[in-house]
Amino acid sequence: MIYDVSHRTTFAYTADVDISQHLLHLEPRASRTQIVQRHGLTVDPAPTRSKDGVDYFGNRTTYLTVEQPHDRLTILSQSRVELDDHAAMPDPEATAPWEELATIAEARGELDAQQYMFESPFTGSRTAFDYARPSFPPGRPVLAGAIDLMNRIFAEFKYEGGVTDIYTPVDQVMEERRGVCQDFAHLQIACLRALMLPARYVSGYLMTHPPPGKEKLVGSDASHAWLSVWTAGHGWVDLDPTNDMLPSDEHITVAWGRDYGDVSPIAGMVLGGGMQEVDVAVDVRAQEDRPAD
Amino acid sequence: MNESELAAPLQRPGDALLSGYGDGVRGFDEMFGADGQPRAHWGSLLDELGRHSAGELAQLWTTADRLVRENGTTYNVYDETGDSARPWRMDPIPFLIAPDEWRALEAGLIQRARLLNAIVDDVYGHQHLLHSGALPASLIFGNDNFLRPVHGISPPKGVHLHILAFDLARGADDRWWVMSDRTQAPSGAGYALENRIVLSRTLPDIFRKSRAHRLASFFQAMSDGLLSLTGRDDPLAVLLTPGPRNETYFEHAYLARYLGFPLIEGADLTVRDNRVYLKTLDGLKQVDLILRRVDGDYCDPLELRNESLLGVAGLVEAIRAGNVVVANGLGSGVVESDALMAFYPKLCRELLGEDLQIPSIATWWCGQPAERDYVIENLDNLTIRPAFARTTIVNSHAGAVMPGELNAKAKAQLTERLQLAGHAYFGQEMASFSTTPSWHEGALAPRPMALRMFVCFDGTGYRVMPGGLTRATDDADIGAIRLGQGQTSKDVWALSDRPVSEFSRLAAADQPIRLRRSGSNLASRVADNLFWLGRYAERAESSIRLLRAMIMRLSGEAGAGDDPQTLARLALALVELGHLPESAGRLAEAGELQSLERELALLLSDPEGPNGLLALLADLDRIASIVRERLSADSWRILNNLRERALQEGAVIRLDMDDAAAVLNAMLADLSAFSGMQKENMTRGLGWHVMDAGRRTERAAHITTLMRELVTDGDPVADGRLDLLLELGDSSMTYRTRYISSPRLAPVIDLLLTDDTNPRAVAFQAQQLAAHVRALPRATNAATLPREEFLIESLTSRLRLADVQALADAKDDDGVRVELAAFLDKTDAQIAEFSDAFARKYFSHVLPTRSAYAGTGGP
Repeated sequence: MIYDVSHRTTFAYTADVDISQHLLHLEPRASRTQIVQRHGLTVDPAPTRSKDGVDYFGNRTTYLTVEQPHDRLTILSQSRVELDDHAAMPDPEATAPWEELATIAEARGELDAQQYMFESPFTGSRTAFDYARPSFPPGRPVLAGAIDLMNRIFAEFKYEGGVTDIYTPVDQVMEERRGVCQDFAHLQIACLRALMLPARYVSGYLMTHPPPGKEKLVGSDASHAWLSVWTAGHGWVDLDPTNDMLPSDEHITVAWGRDYGDVSPIAGMVLGGGMQEVDVAVDVRAQEDRPAD
Repeated sequence: MNESELAAPLQRPGDALLSGYGDGVRGFDEMFGADGQPRAHWGSLLDELGRHSAGELAQLWTTADRLVRENGTTYNVYDETGDSARPWRMDPIPFLIAPDEWRALEAGLIQRARLLNAIVDDVYGHQHLLHSGALPASLIFGNDNFLRPVHGISPPKGVHLHILAFDLARGADDRWWVMSDRTQAPSGAGYALENRIVLSRTLPDIFRKSRAHRLASFFQAMSDGLLSLTGRDDPLAVLLTPGPRNETYFEHAYLARYLGFPLIEGADLTVRDNRVYLKTLDGLKQVDLILRRVDGDYCDPLELRNESLLGVAGLVEAIRAGNVVVANGLGSGVVESDALMAFYPKLCRELLGEDLQIPSIATWWCGQPAERDYVIENLDNLTIRPAFARTTIVNSHAGAVMPGELNAKAKAQLTERLQLAGHAYFGQEMASFSTTPSWHEGALAPRPMALRMFVCFDGTGYRVMPGGLTRATDDADIGAIRLGQGQTSKDVWALSDRPVSEFSRLAAADQPIRLRRSGSNLASRVADNLFWLGRYAERAESSIRLLRAMIMRLSGEAGAGDDPQTLARLALALVELGHLPESAGRLAEAGELQSLERELALLLSDPEGPNGLLALLADLDRIASIVRERLSADSWRILNNLRERALQEGAVIRLDMDDAAAVLNAMLADLSAFSGMQKENMTRGLGWHVMDAGRRTERAAHITTLMRELVTDGDPVADGRLDLLLELGDSSMTYRTRYISSPRLAPVIDLLLTDDTNPRAVAFQAQQLAAHVRALPRATNAATLPREEFLIESLTSRLRLADVQALADAKDDDGVRVELAAFLDKTDAQIAEFSDAFARKYFSHVLPTRSAYAGTGGP
């Protein structure tokens, strides 16, 4: 399946910004199941500096600065991505017992798994361990446990926008039982890591479908977040607790890291600027949806 | 001849000091050998001390205490009630290291510094150690001092660790053991220097004869080594501090002055074009080296901790581009985890091909099953410490637990934590400590001690400070020192077996190592604060003058009944200046003096009132403490007095209005003293110009407001308002000398508004402001005047050309002096406009930076 993604972010300020610096994680990441056919970035006003790089986790980044006064900044990211929808899903019951994961990772020198075993700035929690335990009775295969945990989060937490922001601690989400995609991703990651299981945060997009009979609205999609758990023999497996599903052919991966802080689509610092308004419009189109030219 | 003199020939001179010393010695004592005799290297010090009587010594120690206090040596302690500055404590008996022992420590610590640097280099580079398992990956990945964005950056000459500190203790086996390694932003070197300066001044002769290595060359080497890494001919180096509330802020200010590096905060820096700049009054100056006391993860809110206000956005990218050197390198805190010590013997052989010379205290990291089991089995005999805790100078073992002292339930919880998250803990053997002589009730007494030593990169390799900082306890109990604490510090004398050079830079210790162009690097933020310090000091003075005038009229001989009109005007002026609520103006007009008096008492003594006197003084205090290192000790003391007076005597004010006047008089005297210090003792650098500009601006605005309130209508001569204006403008005497008659309007307006020879007149302030503006850095080749200069010049000429008589005479049908009012309004507006333009020109870089995440929040 081939998708075109357009992700436009507009910052409007009530006063001039003297200088702004941004670190972008907007370029989709090539992986076993995803080919990035093209990617382009359009920034207005034109950046003073713009430098592409690769971060510690292997994601592609762009560091840009606008060093003249501006009261508006638009960053448009456009990508075409091909997803392999035939990737085999491991049998959850055939994965290794969860207790053995940390030992296996260490014994094999799997730094890429060990990397994601520890609490990170957005995943600190005192309640995650107790919440996670029932999904992981002794000896249960890790993926089976992780899926059970995902099912429970989906069932017990309510999706509700506007009640949390990115700084909302996991424990507050746990207590209020509601939040949005990155809250649920952080929550499940915190649970898995409390059991010393390697889990990473995935930032990307989700193809959404309009209600039956309705036209899909342009810009109605949003960036999305889910997670991956390391299963030893079968590597990393994605889980989407917001939608209670194992992502396959409708989740477009942009970047992964320990948590939101590592891969936030646009992190920025501005000098001056007064009040700020942000407008984000995301549009994901499968190629067959495209009207003929 | 008395008895003691008769007995003297049989004794060594120091024996009286030693009486009873041996009784207190349990384990290894630094001074007493096993034979009960002082070790050889202590002999000379004991002899010298013995030449002084106990009384003389007590006198000397008082001197030392006074020096510590006068230097304002403090460290800040945080507790639940807030933070407070504690005076630094120094025991006057130095700790001595014998020459051969010093050489061994020197070699061992240099090796350890090389080892730690090599580990950091690997962790932020190829990670061979992690791949091979020589260093457990968990110890790095679970450590929040491992800063991923820094990975892959190679610093100049491969140096990540420029300054290191090591805490050592001597075990029962006579050997030195390293207790902890400090690599993030090690503190204490400045305190060591301060101790040395105080002690060498207290015991100048003894120190001179002592053959103790001098410290100055170490700091010179540190400075040279750091600057050499910039590769620039005339590099700008700064010391980055988290600010005055930081625990060791004293040391930051002290070292900055000593090294000749401007002391700056994150807000003083900006990154443009991948370079770091210091925002100064003179514009942006490129920074080549940042010696940081801010923890690495707080240094760049863009790539590291997003919520940090202590760093500068874009710093990591500037480092990556090779445009600035940061010492210690960001991320260097990763080897501060003492849990790593368990692996050093092996890593030393692997990385350096050498055996580790100075052992570490026995350490078992609980991230390994066998070690964890050992720790759990031997819980009662160990100290359990979090692997990734942040440390402080007075507490290097933050979060340490001694399970032996826990109850069964707490012990069970600890065991469970070790089993679940073993990687976050390690067990350590209970260290034993040697004792060293400390001064206790007129004699020497053995006290447990730990030693902090410092290492710096000197341009080609590592160098050890031939001295250091000793922590000791007040009593013989070793508990506190075991937890990494200690109540007093000591100077450390590393002894040479040859005479050391008499030359010492320490004679000039307050002088920076490097002479810098005076003040041109005054940070805009500091200048901004100095400007406001000037304004607040002036505001406090004029407000107190107003309050005093009011009190005199309410209660004094002036007698309120005589001029209720004046009283009402005064109340309205206080309302206008925001000190009294509007209701007070109505009370005054209605003649309700009792109620007015209550309002006033509240204004003077209520600690909660946002517009009260105490709030104003608190503002003054707060802003003064921000720029404290720019104020002389005397100025600082005056402000302290003022604040204390206000706090202590507030109650008096509430009770009695007559006493209140006396208290206000005393406060005015304090403020005059403060402005006198500023006038007489501050060098005429940029800082002085900016601070005085603040004072002048405030005074001009205040006098203008007073005139507007008091003399623009009615007959101010008849109802005493003119007298009041002269009193508030502190110009009664001048007027009387000049005119020898009772006040008339036009001469008073002239005296306070347009007379540029009266230091209280608006015209005088304008003239001074124009002079300040000309003295500050500005573009000299511009065709037009800078805005702030244009504004102040036009105010000056307006005042010069004003027809005072006409202003005084022109009234409308209601008896309002419309032209005077309009003139004053315009003046007021010009002053405000000038103040804004001035701030924009010189402080405009001080804009808040904030973060902008364009978040997710999707399905």
